[in-house]
Amino acid sequence: MKKIIIGLATVALLCSAGNAKTLKVGLASGALSMDPYAHNETATNSILSNIFDTLIAFDKDIKTHPGLAVSWTNPEPTVWIMKLREGVKFHNGSKFNADDVIFSFNRVKTWNKSGFKGKVSAIDSVEKIDEYTVKFVTKKPYPVFLRKLTYISILDKESLEGKNDQWIGLNPIGTGPYKLTSWSKGDHIKMDVNKKYWRGVGKFDKVIFRPLTNNATRVAAILSNEVDIINRVPVVDVNRVKKSDKLNFFVQPGLRLIYLQMDQDRDNSPFIKTHDGKNPLKDVRVRKAIYYGINEDAIVKYVMKGFAEPAAQLSPPAVFGNDPSIKRPAFNPEKAKALLAEAGYPDGFEIQLDSPNNRYINDAQIAQAVASSLAKIGIKVKVNATPKSTFFKETGKLKTSFFLIGWASSDGDASSILDGCVHTYNAETGYGRYNRGRYSNTKVDALIEKSAGIMDPAERLKVLQEAQKLAIVEDQNFIPLHYQVDIYASSKNIKFETRTDSRIWVYDIK
Amino acid sequence: MTKYILNRLFHSALVMLTISFIVFFIMFKAGDPVELMLPPDATQQDVIDMRAALGLDKSFIVQYQKFLINVSKGNLGNSFIYGQPALDIVFERMPATMELAVIAMIISILVGIPLGIISSIKPNSIMSRVIMFFSLAGISVPVFWTGMILVLIFSVILGVLPSSGRGEVYLFTSAFTWDGIKHLIMPVATLSIFQLALILRLTRTGMMEVLMQDYIKLATAKGVPRKVIVYYHALKNTLIPLITIIGIQFGQLVAFTIVTETIFAWPGTGKLIIDSIQNLDRPIVVAYLLVISFIFVAINFAVDVLYTLVDPRVRV
Repeated sequence: MKKIIIGLATVALLCSAGNAKTLKVGLASGALSMDPYAHNETATNSILSNIFDTLIAFDKDIKTHPGLAVSWTNPEPTVWIMKLREGVKFHNGSKFNADDVIFSFNRVKTWNKSGFKGKVSAIDSVEKIDEYTVKFVTKKPYPVFLRKLTYISILDKESLEGKNDQWIGLNPIGTGPYKLTSWSKGDHIKMDVNKKYWRGVGKFDKVIFRPLTNNATRVAAILSNEVDIINRVPVVDVNRVKKSDKLNFFVQPGLRLIYLQMDQDRDNSPFIKTHDGKNPLKDVRVRKAIYYGINEDAIVKYVMKGFAEPAAQLSPPAVFGNDPSIKRPAFNPEKAKALLAEAGYPDGFEIQLDSPNNRYINDAQIAQAVASSLAKIGIKVKVNATPKSTFFKETGKLKTSFFLIGWASSDGDASSILDGCVHTYNAETGYGRYNRGRYSNTKVDALIEKSAGIMDPAERLKVLQEAQKLAIVEDQNFIPLHYQVDIYASSKNIKFETRTDSRIWVYDIK
Repeated sequence: MTKYILNRLFHSALVMLTISFIVFFIMFKAGDPVELMLPPDATQQDVIDMRAALGLDKSFIVQYQKFLINVSKGNLGNSFIYGQPALDIVFERMPATMELAVIAMIISILVGIPLGIISSIKPNSIMSRVIMFFSLAGISVPVFWTGMILVLIFSVILGVLPSSGRGEVYLFTSAFTWDGIKHLIMPVATLSIFQLALILRLTRTGMMEVLMQDYIKLATAKGVPRKVIVYYHALKNTLIPLITIIGIQFGQLVAFTIVTETIFAWPGTGKLIIDSIQNLDRPIVVAYLLVISFIFVAINFAVDVLYTLVDPRVRV
């Protein structure tokens, strides 16, 4: 009798579970706004990618595919004609057509709080050819055009015209696989499936995203089965998660490089003390010495618990521009000391290493490890780890000689780090905004600028690789440390594949 | 009495104004969030534009003036990060924090005072010693640790309570639904343990001191029943300093919710303020601190008025 009751109860439970399949996701951070143009940061982009579509979409390996644009031609180097998908409706029933595309691009470019202006700065104009065709004109031939389009969510002109920023920030109306039903900042983001989605209906009827910013809380949530997936599993909890027989564990090589920048510009750098009063970082031998003198394997093993990929260049393997021939030389403190002596610093020198302490995974600990590594070759490093608000402000004002920072090549193309960090700083053109060591090599600049106009991928790759080689292998402009790795855990009941761009796209989860 | 109240109101307003100035100044010096908000591929011009859009390119005096004018209209500005009115965001999250703080305070009072009384009557009994031992633990153990241990035992190992989140909310509070109560148990326990221990010890010390007074000896000699002496005369006199402490401690409770909210992913203002400080979201920090100061000022005012009712020696 008891068995029958238990059996019936189980069946009833399974039936009710089958009626409304809900996916619960525990995230390291929540969305900052429901306006897809307000904040260009991974957490918000990841959540909103479920509500909005873009003209071009990234698959999980960051390769481009048709999204709301079904096909395109490139009749002249600066002209792109895109054919839009017909029969697509926004969540409120409004029709998707060229007017929405024009509206969206104008807003991204001109809205004063838009965080995506950089993605569309190369686009000169966008015109309507007919209801389902648009023409983009870029200022110069723009090989990364399609990649940049993967970031521009398409908004509904009819719904948003005339509404103020606040309304738009609370009412997302997209064409995506899920629509927002409720948003309580910091508590939950609830979505229902879009039954009229053009790719087909998603497997889950409901999704609940829960920001669980505290690491221990997030891990507890998946261990107690309150959520089905969590991202950013802290490295110290990996073993605990692996031991559970109800959970799957994923490691995904990410796009973020953690590296060190050095002041290569000033003769008197504020935070360096040497016996001869000069700036040792201007000498490539000193920079090379630092590179050889950091035991990165130890950092990966002890600080990152094995969850990082040692880096030898600026672009990880998934990014276009990566050069498989560049390998990281082995840790060699003797060679480092020899190089230092050759450069005139046999007894080393004193320097301060600045680092954020709440921005990247184990950032302050990595800085400490770098300091202890360099101490062994005679460079006395003082670590100054500060919250990101202070760190970015001070380094922005160049009140630093040596600092740890990260860069995610989220477009999947080397141009972002080359333009933003390697090119000589130029306030008008916007090059080198994060080149805070003020590294400058006009040959590298020329290669970077040349690559920006080459449309043929094979030829462009060669130029990108040449620029990178010159900067990192010859000049050692930066000290690459490692690429961050994304760690996820999910319940065995669902089929989940991780993405290179760190997003959680529920539509692909089964 | 009226003169006293008006006096107090004037002083309270002065306090709020000073606080607003100090907070505004500190956040102004901390820097602007534009660098943090814009992605790496934004140009210097974008930074300048965004700064202008948020009004952050003006001098301190101009910005503060604009702030004061807006405050007089009831507008505390829009959050830099969320883009929504700062006061709305603070009020949206306030019920969650207040709920935790109020329920934790009620429990600490309802449990702490009786236990304090019990341990004060016969201070050397076994019961007393056990209570004092646990109260010492309650004061010493960090809130953070208590929270984690509770989550570990009840959520991960036993699986009977949810590890985080707020649960179903009805009429602004989750205390009216069973699901809400399940979510409330651990955060409230974590938050109230320190308060409970504190109130317990204060009650005990206060009671022991009062019970040694001459008028108690007189009452005993006159034959007044022990129960009346303890629960009426002695307790009333112990309550006076206790009320002051509870008023001040309520402020501490609200402050400690920061830690509790982080552990239990409780969507309250504690977590909001920490994040806003880190993100340099000045409007929210200012709005929150002004609201909290207002609550403090109001509570202290109420406590002072309560005094006059409880202690006949105090006259305003």
